[in-house]
Amino acid sequence: MAGELVFMMGNFRAVFPADRRYAANHTWARTESGGAVRFGLSAYAARLLQEVYFLEWSMDAGATVREKDEIGAIESAKANAALYAPMAGIIARFNDAAMADPSIINKDGYGDGWLFEMSGDASGTMDAPAYVAHLEASWAKAQALLKGQLR
Amino acid sequence: MKKLTVVISESPGKDPRKRELEANILAALVGQPDVAVSVVPHLYDLNEDHAGALFLRSVNGPLLVLAWLYPRGIHWTLDRLGVKGRVGQTQLKRASDEDDKNDGGKDDKPRLGAANAPARTIWSLDFQDGDTAEAHVQEIIRVAAQVKAAVKLSAAEAVPVAISSPPIQNLKSKIGNPPARRWYPVIDYSRCANCMECVDFCLFGVYGVDDAGRILVESADNCRKGCPACSRVCPENAIVFPMHRTPALAGAPGTKPGDLKLDLSQLFGAPSALDLADKERDAELVKDGREAVGPPKRQPCCDLRPKDALDKLMDALDGERL
Repeated sequence: MAGELVFMMGNFRAVFPADRRYAANHTWARTESGGAVRFGLSAYAARLLQEVYFLEWSMDAGATVREKDEIGAIESAKANAALYAPMAGIIARFNDAAMADPSIINKDGYGDGWLFEMSGDASGTMDAPAYVAHLEASWAKAQALLKGQLR
Repeated sequence: MKKLTVVISESPGKDPRKRELEANILAALVGQPDVAVSVVPHLYDLNEDHAGALFLRSVNGPLLVLAWLYPRGIHWTLDRLGVKGRVGQTQLKRASDEDDKNDGGKDDKPRLGAANAPARTIWSLDFQDGDTAEAHVQEIIRVAAQVKAAVKLSAAEAVPVAISSPPIQNLKSKIGNPPARRWYPVIDYSRCANCMECVDFCLFGVYGVDDAGRILVESADNCRKGCPACSRVCPENAIVFPMHRTPALAGAPGTKPGDLKLDLSQLFGAPSALDLADKERDAELVKDGREAVGPPKRQPCCDLRPKDALDKLMDALDGERL
């Protein structure tokens, strides 16, 4: 384990392992031994969603996507969100275990709770310190957005 | 005897399943003693001087309109045509609607409210809220019974003032020919706070202001087909495009704050509504041979309070049972 970084969301400690990279849409990315890039939700995204109970993909494995294309949707007890491609490429496969029981995203989001694997160029992603800096820079805006919805 | 006037607004297309549902409901209502039924072309496409609009305006008693639009879209399209009244409560709900709360203003901000709305009630029914003709017919009969009971209650003061106008045509014939398709916004005045954001935003001159300073859709047909951008910039979600494919823009029920879950899509990479609105407007300007204007300088949407208050937000989320 190459250590981890922490970002405080209020009193919540969101932890980001430094052994992988992160996309601006709050997914982590790690290149697997076969060359595929595996993506999952960062602790930041999981904390915002909280208990995830529904996950669906709007395409089949093998689909070619552009960065920011809508690829699916996720729902928790408290929130809905569309999911967007973190990079351009081909979605090679989805994690069947997360489809079958999305709560694994909360239990083991950096491990067995991964979402999908892609082939493509992941060089646009950030390392952990850059991602935490991104969170720090955008935290006020994110809260304003949430607060606007809670008002 | 006061009858409920029921107006069936036909589907704009020729979908045989829709036409069949319309025909079955019509057939079941024609024999009902407390109901006078008429058919008009697709309500949203009617001009103010279309025979169907003239007929609707001639009805001054209780009215129920059945159309292929969300009830909120029906009510404010009618209002625009000069067919005004109070919102009648209906009991047909689409299976996916989890709540039927009145979704008016979310705070104490003053709302414009409908201008010159008479005391009569207008019920709006969406064809899509019931799979079968029976479900709709039952609901219409329930409303008709309610109207009849209300008339009996007020029989003591029975001066026949607000009696509905007699049907002015053969029951089964449709009033007027199908008009050309239209595209324009309607304003939900129960939400509108008269902030004028839409007047400033729309560069096609759709919006205007009446003598009393109230916002109105002045030149509806200046609107660019398919463009819902002004609806996205409206801070009160008061602009309805009844034919837009996105339910929230077409007047779908259930958008009262607190009834909805948080939508985190924007945090997960979706374009914001305002960005989308600017893009949509630019696309229409370019199609029109004009220059794109890009995003305007906007005030930040929310003032940020001191950090310690912000930090409580995430913990407050825990307490919310949304």
